[in-house]
Amino acid sequence: MAQENFTFTLPDLGEGLVEATVLEWQVAVGDVVERNAPLVEVETTKSAVVIPSPKAGRIAELHAEEEQVVPVGEPLVTFEVEAADEPQAGIVGRVPAEEARPARRVRLRPPSD
Amino acid sequence: MTELIERADTAADTPVVELSMQQAINRALSDLLTEDPEVLVFGEDVGTLGGVFRVTEGLQKEFGDKRVFDTPLAESAIMGMAVGLAMNGWRPVPELQFDGFAYPAIDQIVNQVARMNYRTRGATPMPITLRLPSFGGIQAPEHHGESLEALFAHTPGLKVVAPSDPADAYSLLLQSVRSDDPVVYMEPKARYWERRPVQLREPSDPIGTSRIVRPGRHATLIAWGAMVHRCVQVAELAAEDGVDLEVLDLRWLKPIDAAGLAASVSRTRRAVVVHEAPLTAGLGAEVATLVTENCFRDLAAPVQRVTGFDVPYPAGPLEPQYLPTIDRVLLAVQRTLEY
Amino acid sequence: MRPVSPTHEPAGREAIDVDHLSPDLTRALYRDMRTARDLDTEAIALQRQGVFPAYVSVRGQEAAQVASASALDPARDFVFPTYREMASALAYGVEMVGYMSTHRALWHGGLHDVAASRFGAVNAVVGGPVPHAVGWAVGERLRGDDGVALAYFGDGASSEGDIHEAMNFAGVFGAPVVFFCQNNQWALSVPNDRQIAGGSVSARAGGYGMPGVLVDGNDAGAVHQATAEAVARARRGEGPSVIEALTYRVEPHSTSDDPGRYRDESETERWRDRDPVTLLREALLAAGHADEAHLAEVDARAAKEAERIRDGVANAPEPDGSDLFTHVFRETTEELTRQRRTWQEEVEL
Repeated sequence: MAQENFTFTLPDLGEGLVEATVLEWQVAVGDVVERNAPLVEVETTKSAVVIPSPKAGRIAELHAEEEQVVPVGEPLVTFEVEAADEPQAGIVGRVPAEEARPARRVRLRPPSD
Repeated sequence: MTELIERADTAADTPVVELSMQQAINRALSDLLTEDPEVLVFGEDVGTLGGVFRVTEGLQKEFGDKRVFDTPLAESAIMGMAVGLAMNGWRPVPELQFDGFAYPAIDQIVNQVARMNYRTRGATPMPITLRLPSFGGIQAPEHHGESLEALFAHTPGLKVVAPSDPADAYSLLLQSVRSDDPVVYMEPKARYWERRPVQLREPSDPIGTSRIVRPGRHATLIAWGAMVHRCVQVAELAAEDGVDLEVLDLRWLKPIDAAGLAASVSRTRRAVVVHEAPLTAGLGAEVATLVTENCFRDLAAPVQRVTGFDVPYPAGPLEPQYLPTIDRVLLAVQRTLEY
Repeated sequence: MRPVSPTHEPAGREAIDVDHLSPDLTRALYRDMRTARDLDTEAIALQRQGVFPAYVSVRGQEAAQVASASALDPARDFVFPTYREMASALAYGVEMVGYMSTHRALWHGGLHDVAASRFGAVNAVVGGPVPHAVGWAVGERLRGDDGVALAYFGDGASSEGDIHEAMNFAGVFGAPVVFFCQNNQWALSVPNDRQIAGGSVSARAGGYGMPGVLVDGNDAGAVHQATAEAVARARRGEGPSVIEALTYRVEPHSTSDDPGRYRDESETERWRDRDPVTLLREALLAAGHADEAHLAEVDARAAKEAERIRDGVANAPEPDGSDLFTHVFRETTEELTRQRRTWQEEVEL
């Protein structure tokens, strides 16, 4: 399988947040991580959160030291991933995220018949 | 997982491979180009680039630029060209890059492709399969998330199909291209990428056959394209509540499997049809009518429709609110159960 | 050959010249133009007698149609007509009773065998069949064959997007297509100066990387030569070209039209005076390709042939009601079969 790099940039973790501080890396360069494994704990003005890994792959580079402030949109971590395992979006749009467990609010009452 | 269990008894000689729908369609095109020297694949960016969703990746390299080629950017001419190629004995498989750009080609599709065999009393068959990446769910720009099935199904002379998973995408495309009638093959973009273990099979059901994806006894969810997956999710959640839902993948939107619908709904006595397209004059109305005509005495409740709203297809953030949600389908199920 | 510079004002009865063509060819052109003229006259009469619901006359366009169609090879080429190409069909050898049946509204598109005659169905979408010609021609090259597609369209259709898309496709693919515009100066009620920006359809060819020529559409010799050159070029693999044959629709758009509402009939009269059949007749005599006795015999045969076609169309059986369903699909559907039963039970009775 072909390998390729994927760089994950710091997402906006709340509505309109512009930056976050790296508290603690939970992975190191060379680690092979599963998707959704804990990646890094960051602190925003609202809260501290652990970001789950957006990819399965090997950690190629960490772009920030602990205690460093990272602006939203800046590189956080680069993964080496298996190209074929990672669907590439088309020319427009994105690959829909597959919810592990679809959210619901409505509960059903079984029929009597 | 019911799909896989359903398939386990067939095609024992072909290996189970893990494929996305993108790859399954690519495989089908490759097999079709191999089996029939008259098959031609063309459209915008399908050659060198391999298609904007990589569905035609590698085909030009393998089959050459006479069989797989890029055209200038003009949808009407692409479909018009398909008509002329068909008149000259070829079996064209044009791609129009996105659903919303089929509109500029509607004249050729409706006035020419659909009618040429009729107009010439069978002298010029139109074995054209229009591949049309369709439906929403990928947060794409405007005109890239449309559902045109009702328009095509309403056009005499066209057949219309929408696969929901990689295995069906493969065999339904073989069936469409081999058909001597024009077929609009609607590819659910949102389902392009998910990989599934599948067996690639020759088509075994006649054109116009639906498929029970998940058997159940309390109500039938009827869907096509990406909404089949949505209905399977709903059925799994409903099972937690003790409600056993059947999911019927219509697959062929013309001809519609009226008998298959009737067989399922006669058993479950309740039906919910789910589609992405707007409600009014959508294909759900046709399905509801067929069910009502054929199962009136068996029905415990009126057929429910869960569809997109009668609004233009919205931008990304509103997409999840427009497309039928799990809760909306569950509420519709509840309405049929409590009627 | 005398240089041709056609204008929107007719050149009166100024002679045309056929010295560059063989006598056999010019006699055949005259025969077909004469027959088409007579058939056209018969067709207008059939409309007035209530046999045709409507008819679209080709009068005045016989040279443009017959001379272009005669430059093709009906054994290997393919013609894509619109709805006003009766004279082309006749010259191309199409079975005319079937072809004319579209005007009796027996079957949209006509009842001739499109595949066998290599002449498309009558198509009422102006410009619609032009991309078909490109597809057919691309298919011809893919197979390594040397057939040429000729697409007819009018000055009105030249405004349609399909024409432009088709010309661009043909240019990009180097397809063997002849785009033949019969500019009869009137798209129903709209004249050229309100239809064609820049004033010339043939000039647009340059933008698509192909040659374009303007010819006197009432000069059979000029039309034939221009078409033969374009066909030969396409057959040699040198790609598409545009021919604009400037002519005039001397009759109303259709038998239901009233041109008095939009044009000055004195202009029409000037064009009637430059009648392509008369011009060719005189040119044949001048060139010594035929004498009066021969032409009188041809005229008599043409009239008889037109009557034969007229009677054939007028007496052709109406299609069976079941034909409604027969050719919708190659492989019909259960639903359509059910609807056909409904027709049998509730309509046919």
